[in-house]
Amino acid sequence: MSKLIPFINFTSKKLQLRFVFTLFLVIFLIALATGAGMAQEGAESAKTTEAAETTAEGKTAAAEPEPEPYEVVDYRNFFGIDGRLIVWIISELHLMFAAFVLAVPIFVVIIEMIGVKSGDIRFDNLAREFTKLLSAAFATTASLGGLLAFALYGLYPAFMRYMTDVFHPYMFIYALCFFGEVFCLYGYYYSWDLLSRTPKGKWFHISIGVMLNLFGTALMMLANSWATFMMAPGGINMETGTVTSLYHAFYNFLWMPVNIHRIIANVAFGGFVVGAYAAVKFMGSRTDEERAHYDWMGYIGNFIGLGALIPLPFAGYYLGREIYMASPVMGNIMMGGAFSWTFIVQAILIGMLFIGGNYYLWNGMSRIKGAERYTPYIKYINIVIFFCFAVWLTPHNLPLSGEERALIGEQYHPFSKFFGVMAAKNAVVNLLILSTFFSFLLYRRANKGETKPFSSHGSAARITLIITAGLTVMYLAWYALGLRGLEMEENILRYVSPLVTCLVIQIISIVIAILLTFANKGKIAQSFLFVVTTVMAVIYFWYYGFVVMEKANLVLRFLSVTQVSIVISCLIVNTVIDVFLFKDAKEVGGIQWGKIPHRSQYALLLLCVAIVTLMGLMGFIRSGLRMNWHIYGYMQDTSAGAFTPSIAYMGWTVSLIVILFLALVAFVFWLAGLADKKKKHA
Amino acid sequence: MRSFLNAVIFTLAVVGFFAYVCIYVTNLSGGSGGGGATGVSPEAGEKIFWGDGQCHTCHSIGTSGSATRGPNQEGLASRAEEKAKATGLGSGLEYMVESIVNPSSFVVEGYDDIMPKVFAPPIMLDREKILAVLTYLQTLGGEPDIDAVIKFKDKIPEASKTKVVPWVPPIEVDLKEGELIFFDDTRDVTCSKCHVINGKGAKVGPDLTGIGAVQTPQYLIESVLKPSAVIVKGFETMYLMTNDGMAYNGLLVSQDEEEVVLMIDEEGEMVEYVFYPDEIAQMQKQDVSIMPGNLSEMLTTKEFYGIISFLLSQK
Repeated sequence: MSKLIPFINFTSKKLQLRFVFTLFLVIFLIALATGAGMAQEGAESAKTTEAAETTAEGKTAAAEPEPEPYEVVDYRNFFGIDGRLIVWIISELHLMFAAFVLAVPIFVVIIEMIGVKSGDIRFDNLAREFTKLLSAAFATTASLGGLLAFALYGLYPAFMRYMTDVFHPYMFIYALCFFGEVFCLYGYYYSWDLLSRTPKGKWFHISIGVMLNLFGTALMMLANSWATFMMAPGGINMETGTVTSLYHAFYNFLWMPVNIHRIIANVAFGGFVVGAYAAVKFMGSRTDEERAHYDWMGYIGNFIGLGALIPLPFAGYYLGREIYMASPVMGNIMMGGAFSWTFIVQAILIGMLFIGGNYYLWNGMSRIKGAERYTPYIKYINIVIFFCFAVWLTPHNLPLSGEERALIGEQYHPFSKFFGVMAAKNAVVNLLILSTFFSFLLYRRANKGETKPFSSHGSAARITLIITAGLTVMYLAWYALGLRGLEMEENILRYVSPLVTCLVIQIISIVIAILLTFANKGKIAQSFLFVVTTVMAVIYFWYYGFVVMEKANLVLRFLSVTQVSIVISCLIVNTVIDVFLFKDAKEVGGIQWGKIPHRSQYALLLLCVAIVTLMGLMGFIRSGLRMNWHIYGYMQDTSAGAFTPSIAYMGWTVSLIVILFLALVAFVFWLAGLADKKKKHA
Repeated sequence: MRSFLNAVIFTLAVVGFFAYVCIYVTNLSGGSGGGGATGVSPEAGEKIFWGDGQCHTCHSIGTSGSATRGPNQEGLASRAEEKAKATGLGSGLEYMVESIVNPSSFVVEGYDDIMPKVFAPPIMLDREKILAVLTYLQTLGGEPDIDAVIKFKDKIPEASKTKVVPWVPPIEVDLKEGELIFFDDTRDVTCSKCHVINGKGAKVGPDLTGIGAVQTPQYLIESVLKPSAVIVKGFETMYLMTNDGMAYNGLLVSQDEEEVVLMIDEEGEMVEYVFYPDEIAQMQKQDVSIMPGNLSEMLTTKEFYGIISFLLSQK
């Protein structure tokens, strides 16, 4: 007896998914129609009332009714939903896509250049694959940008009228730059094959990529000036709003700090997003070849992300300091007021990034033969990183109950109070960065055996090292001289002297490290510089930070910059030494791309989700610092939604934004991959 | 498809963890936002306290909140009654109104005079919201009485709803010139000999760093022209008479069982004098500021407004 095959197979998973999707669409459309219907109903009922009134009036007066005067509206809502929430979601989505679209071309061009210089076609293919994602994401960014503009003009007409009055000349420049970016992007993507045939053509192609970056950066900086103008307005009469200097309105106090912070953050963002793309692709790969490719791609994404993440806290500190300078009230709201607790959430997310990044590197070592030599050290780095994370997470003052306070005998916890202050946090952030850098150095030398003497690399290596060290020393000396020239009271100025001494010690240490490297003792040179930097920037400045906070708080800002300068100088010099130390070094074993544990891919996913969430959180903080002001100190937000939401409300909203963004990215990347599937099937 | 679903589940778990942390932190910090607060009621006042009003930036209530810059407001209503009796005010409510309208009038011992006027920029609470906060404060150790609160409505200045109207000097002045005069130590009277701005100057009088962000032009003008009208806590002049009949007026630098140190003006120079307990016959606080009261004679109108404009620019 033959088995009956049903016409429709209700157990099919595909069919079930289609049902769910159709149901979702129906609910969505009904919801939309209901909202619109309600709005229309409201309008109709208003009309009915109007008509009734007109009839009543008509009975008493035969004259024609007066035409209704045109009413200027300052605020509107979106079908009953608060306009602020809608603008928040759309602007954040636009910003995230824009970050990706602006960051990826930066490293795509660099990867393409590496490909041309090294002659390794894999780099060229990788750059092209990234560009494919870029072109798919670009259209979404532009659409979201248009939607944001409509939302702003529609929901905040009065505010946008003023912003247009001030910035309209720059809006035209923005549009021109946008055209430039569109032409460069599509020119760059579609001319890849055409211009790859000759070396000259290839360099011309790279030039288009550079132009793409220039237009992209200009776009970002233009938009930044509008956002920072809202935080620290300049170039206007604060009474009348008249523009007194368009240049100062554009180049306002916070413009450059935000530009610097955003460029670096965008690169980290782009790196981690492509890393996650590679991770998903890796997990779904069916062949060893595919696995090897996506493993390598994930590695590059993580490398770029971590590379940008290291200087990011410094840029963030600079921005925070400038916010304080622009307005102490705003600075106080940020670090001591309504937003101070959001920085605990930020610390958790940054901790996730550092821990995830290091975890991925350590997992990556398992695919490198020879890495087992360094495995015992990993646990110590782990301990250091978790310790740093814990200190960073400690709030300045833990809320204590009356009982706890009575038990402790004071307002602050006897131990945690030392970890909650800036001196401790600065120290652990620097230690975290040094540990991550150390972790990366271990990864780099995992499959390397005997190194070649430095002298064998010739004079080019020597010159490079001298120039690098020279520039670093010049910067340190310039800052030390600046500190010596500070005009302050003598009793405060004496607390600056140890900072100058530390900078001088660092300069001497760099010179010693260079001399040791020239004497073919590069590893000792690196260790020496590491130890000196850690002792000064972490241990000594941790202690000295407390002294300064107690005796001369004003010096704390110089201490932080000195600390950062010392750490950065160590990273730069040690990186260059490392490059030559392991150039042409003997390999213990090759890297087996694709042989990385599956769990490491979740670390890449974690990095992506954490950085997207972090961008959402920081966007909320930056924008929220204005409190109930559109333009801080000049134009108040008098709409119903002008309140600072609680952290929980922010958490839900940012979570929604993150999910929307990741879903859109997944969809856009899936679309971008369709063409490849078609090619494979053909 | 399975690996993609795993990635989705993992992503949702991380995002869920983030949302959980945010909720946890909200409970820990006590900040629940200030949205939707309307009318004069303790409920609206509570929302404003933790939201728009930014009161929680400096004040905690019991174990809610973690700020320590200002006094913890637990039991405020009953404390206010005691304070009112001690200061001759009619009621605890009047004491609270006075503390909000003129924050420098009653500064709790052990705390700095840093409270801003909440009806002035950048906080700019309107009258209704301040009244709501007052009803909420009444519930902290007492019973709310909305009618009584409303009676004080005329005492509370109305905040500007649309924009801030900044102070403009009556004559055209140069801010840079004001700065030069402030730090010019060749003049008979130099501001920076007693005041610090951004680390420059001497700390005899109050530190004026960021003064423009917390004080009004009217306050600054009054402080320069009539230094004794409002004396910042901790900078009152001390009158000291020694056993041999010598009298001194100066700022109290320190005081303990072994010695009393006064900063005394000697022909424009501030000099520290140390007195031992056995040589002091009498010592008491004065209502007169040590700051010269004749600055209006020593400055031209342009110089005077230049200094005021310079101080207001310190934000």
